[in-house]
Amino acid sequence: MSDAASASVRDLSGATNMIECEGVSKWYGDFQALNSVSATIKEQEVVVVLGPSGSGKSTWIRCINKLEHHQEGRIVVDGVELTNDLRNIEKIRSEVGMVFQQFNLFPHLTVLDNITLAPIWVRKKPRGEAESAARALLDRVGIPEQADKYPGQLSGGQQQRVAIARALAMEPRVMLFDEPTSALDPEMIKEVLDVMKGLARSGMTMIVVTHEMGFAREVADRIIFMEDGMIVEVGTPEHFFTNPTEDRTKLFLSQIL
Amino acid sequence: MAQVGALILVLGALGFLVSQAGDNLRARSIPTGFDFIEQPPGIQVGEGIQTRDFETGGRALWVGMVNTLRIASAGIVAATVLGVIVGLARLSHNWIVQKVSSVFVETLRNIPLLVQIIFIFTVFTTLGNVSLDSGPIHGWLHISNKGLSVPRVFGLNGSFQWLAFMAIGALVARWAHHHQVRKQEETGQLGYPIVAAGGVLSVFGIVGWFAHPVMGFLGPVFGLIADALDGLPEETLQLILAVLSIVVAILWIRRFLKSMSSGGGRAKLTDDDWFRMIFAFAGSVLVAFAVLVVWPGLSSWLLNSGRDFFQLLDDRFGSGNGGRPFDGKRPDIVKPGNFANYGPAGLTLTPFFAAVFFGVVLYTAAFIGEIVRGGILAVPKGQTEAASAIGLKRSQALRHIILPQAFRIVLPPLGNQYLNLTKNTSLAIAVGYADVVQVGQTIYNQTGRTLPVMAIWMLFYLACSLTISVVVNFFNVRLKLVER
Repeated sequence: MSDAASASVRDLSGATNMIECEGVSKWYGDFQALNSVSATIKEQEVVVVLGPSGSGKSTWIRCINKLEHHQEGRIVVDGVELTNDLRNIEKIRSEVGMVFQQFNLFPHLTVLDNITLAPIWVRKKPRGEAESAARALLDRVGIPEQADKYPGQLSGGQQQRVAIARALAMEPRVMLFDEPTSALDPEMIKEVLDVMKGLARSGMTMIVVTHEMGFAREVADRIIFMEDGMIVEVGTPEHFFTNPTEDRTKLFLSQIL
Repeated sequence: MAQVGALILVLGALGFLVSQAGDNLRARSIPTGFDFIEQPPGIQVGEGIQTRDFETGGRALWVGMVNTLRIASAGIVAATVLGVIVGLARLSHNWIVQKVSSVFVETLRNIPLLVQIIFIFTVFTTLGNVSLDSGPIHGWLHISNKGLSVPRVFGLNGSFQWLAFMAIGALVARWAHHHQVRKQEETGQLGYPIVAAGGVLSVFGIVGWFAHPVMGFLGPVFGLIADALDGLPEETLQLILAVLSIVVAILWIRRFLKSMSSGGGRAKLTDDDWFRMIFAFAGSVLVAFAVLVVWPGLSSWLLNSGRDFFQLLDDRFGSGNGGRPFDGKRPDIVKPGNFANYGPAGLTLTPFFAAVFFGVVLYTAAFIGEIVRGGILAVPKGQTEAASAIGLKRSQALRHIILPQAFRIVLPPLGNQYLNLTKNTSLAIAVGYADVVQVGQTIYNQTGRTLPVMAIWMLFYLACSLTISVVVNFFNVRLKLVER
């Protein structure tokens, strides 16, 4: 029996493994971007990845849906191993949603078309069904009235929320966030973080690369600290922010807090 | 005040220059009149819709203009197709395809177009003479120093009936296409819109080949229309045109007002909006006035040409006899004097046409290829990544995400290339192809009207360029990405 002292720390010991990484390494030419990264993310777990820039955080989560190719090690997503087999990659990509720092919405399509594109062409859903699902998602991220606008007409925060809705439209089992608030003006960060908190509460498995310490402290089940392509320290937010063991973690925290 | 002063100064300088030029031209007795347009030019041109016995110089120039437009329009289509293929090939992962297209681009765009045109022409002149057994495919395709000749397909008496049959087929095919798309969208099952439409069209084509006489009933119908137009008094048409002009203006104003009002109510109209509406109405009244009073000839001209048009259709539709609607002929060789040449049966590219055409097409295709490649590369990498991340296949990403955005980037420079191609056709002078420049030059050599001919050249090329610009701009504005 685990005590219920902290509401945010959930008991996930019984959950199945969603993502397993084993000794993942990657080089850009001579530069080693990832150095034998091993981690296991359980179903419904929210993991925040911290670290200085250039530490390999983004590279790692981009490897998980094969936007980057790792050269050594194993990545298994929901029981399917990532190989060069195209069918595997497509299966995994349709189960793993991704949100980018620069939103990467499709500027020539309306918000609604941005969201329904993949359900219609990948999932082969009827258009009517895809559109009503898309409107429901826009409602969930708080901008139902923007459905027929173009991305260029929205604010940064609204665009990022559309991007989240677009990823959710594929009904993914995992969501990856690659610095989702770094390109936003400060007053828009909160609206995006609120959507992400709601998503975490609904039981979505999430890996979030971010510099938002408040979000990490409040929402994360676990925090992974990376530097120079390696995982330096892993722990609960409480452990991480109050009692870190590694010197490099302490140095990092002293610089940002 | 300073601006008005500057304007007066500039206008004064211009006036001085013009009067000086006029004095000098008169002093050297250089003629500047346009009278040659009305007089028989006494020249022959190499090829075109008419080659000799011109009644007026204007007609001869028109033949040259048609020749220029012929090369420019066919060249724009061919260069676009070839250029897009080359551009995609340069981005290919296939080593051979990529290298071949790179060599194509680097060779063609680094050799002056004039050199290429003369080179292609020289290649043609070194080929053998025409004879009955010349050509790579005996009797079907001839290549010789007289150019390139291929079989020609032409319509017989039943062709109009067959085309009318196909028009109905196109409507049915459109419906089939629509139906399949709707089915795909509503049920999610994969439809076959292209296959369905193509199937319907080919069925109509084949059935129509034999059944086209059934459309013969259209002949009498057109005949009735022609008779009705013949019986219509001129004054009635004048009245109809006048009323129509005013009604169209009023409908336009109503639509304009509707577009200005949103859900809440009407937006405040600016001076410009009021001006537009007043201008539209005043214009329509002016048109009505012109039709009724100033220019009654327009109505009778419309009536006569309309009647002639439907009379012609009546004749064409009446003359079918159930035979095949189209036929083809192989190129023939004639020998009017000492030299053999291609006869009228085949479709012939003269060496002059071929040299200019292939010259401008290959040269422009090299540039268009680079524009297409650049346009695709200019779509941000994040777009491809986002498309992959939501599970689209590479081909789907290309079709839905990359190409639509690349097209928007490519359009303005593509328009520039079309302008360049059109203007570059004037290099036809190097091989003596009868384009507007060559014909014009022949005329001023005969008449000495250098300046008027040059003015006509400039106006002609200006009209071509403006037309292309307007078309490209239209699409550019329509496809513009919506932003705040």
